[in-house]
Amino acid sequence: MILHVDMDAFFASIEQAINPRLKGKPLIVGSRGSKMHTVVCAASYAAKVLGINSGMASREAFARCPNLEFVAADQAKYIWTSEQIFELLQGFNLPLNYASVDEFQMDLTGCQNPVSLGKDIKEQIYANFNITASVGIAKNWLLAKLASKIDKPDGLTLINDDNFESILRQTSLDKLCGMGGKTGANFIASGLKTCWDLYLNLPAFFDQNPGKFDENTGKSSQKPKSVSHSYTLPKVQINPQVIRAWIRLLSEMVATRLRQQNLVSQTVHLWLNGPEIGNFGAQKTYQTQTNDGYEIYQKAIKIMANSSLKNPRIRAIGVTCSSLFWGTSQPLLSEEIRKEGLIRALDRINNRFGEGSIYPAITSFTRS
Amino acid sequence: MNQNSFSPKARWDRFEPEASGGFNPDALNERIEVLALFKHAKIFPQSFSWHDKEYQIEKITYNWQERIGQALISYFSVLSAGQMYQISFDNSTFRWQIDKLIQ
Repeated sequence: MILHVDMDAFFASIEQAINPRLKGKPLIVGSRGSKMHTVVCAASYAAKVLGINSGMASREAFARCPNLEFVAADQAKYIWTSEQIFELLQGFNLPLNYASVDEFQMDLTGCQNPVSLGKDIKEQIYANFNITASVGIAKNWLLAKLASKIDKPDGLTLINDDNFESILRQTSLDKLCGMGGKTGANFIASGLKTCWDLYLNLPAFFDQNPGKFDENTGKSSQKPKSVSHSYTLPKVQINPQVIRAWIRLLSEMVATRLRQQNLVSQTVHLWLNGPEIGNFGAQKTYQTQTNDGYEIYQKAIKIMANSSLKNPRIRAIGVTCSSLFWGTSQPLLSEEIRKEGLIRALDRINNRFGEGSIYPAITSFTRS
Repeated sequence: MNQNSFSPKARWDRFEPEASGGFNPDALNERIEVLALFKHAKIFPQSFSWHDKEYQIEKITYNWQERIGQALISYFSVLSAGQMYQISFDNSTFRWQIDKLIQ
């Protein structure tokens, strides 16, 4: 059996715990401080009732509810709370999976009373953090995750052989994990409406998906396939200097992560999005490997220069480094040694005083 | 999951000048004096002094921590006389500050 913990409107609930004035009110947490030029990161249940959901433009959310409360996201408190909940769950001494910032899964093999454990977990989370969680229990994580969504917020649902059919009959297919996109659309187009319809056509889907519980503590020693950062600008930007500044900032952020993981990259990919160009993406693989932000930036700029884009209007930018290798080579040329020394010094400053304490001057244009 | 794995852009924004009306236009970031209880490896601020006025803390509604470089910052949202405040303690400098008024 698997137990799935899904925090209820996680970011919004934390903000309501911090500020009791916001409790019970329609509230959105925005990804930026400017409340009319951002995207909804999280919505409270009172806001969800009004049709306001994550990913919606904040302007649209305010159009639906002019009295909407707004708080700018502060990632530190959400991550800290998430880590503390993970630590609390570790105390139950069962295999634990850090599924996402607000989702956790436990393998209940050997547990005598899963429902009592689920209640205990919910109570402890509420007692420690003053926020609620919904718990789902079922034979595999797909069904456990589905169970956690059935009675939100503050729910506890067990799917067993007795209620398996009735719950699947009552649950529309789009509630099932993985059915939100094209796969779900294809199934729905072929006439499947509920999870029970899917079970009748593909019973193995509920048994095999996924086969086994992978314990994940949020720390991996595996080499990633790529490292990337992207950002949606506050407004459409045409100033080439500002666009270059954003590419430099994203390149530096990617390079910092490469160096933190002792990785070097051979391939740089640039992605741009704008009203006229739509989605533009191009990449180039080089013989040399790098984890220097300036080099990644120069390569990204070359990709843009070699494209047919002529001073495009840009809304979103992404920089990705792939073809990754463990960084083991030592520089031979004196210029390379000097450059590496400079990067090490900058990393030491940022590691000591916090990321972004020292930064390339051009990135100041991202703050205008 | 850890604090380094989540939107580093927000960490860069920390240094955005307040004059630009940037990420956190409500920021105060002023030094304050705090009377606090350190108990069982936890910190419980009791009262603080800001602009020569004493504020009794009636309730700590939430607390969280963030590592910035080598410093560990402990944040507290506190209630005093009907107003919510965010205050923080930097363990590398042993300084307290008032971060903002919580509206």
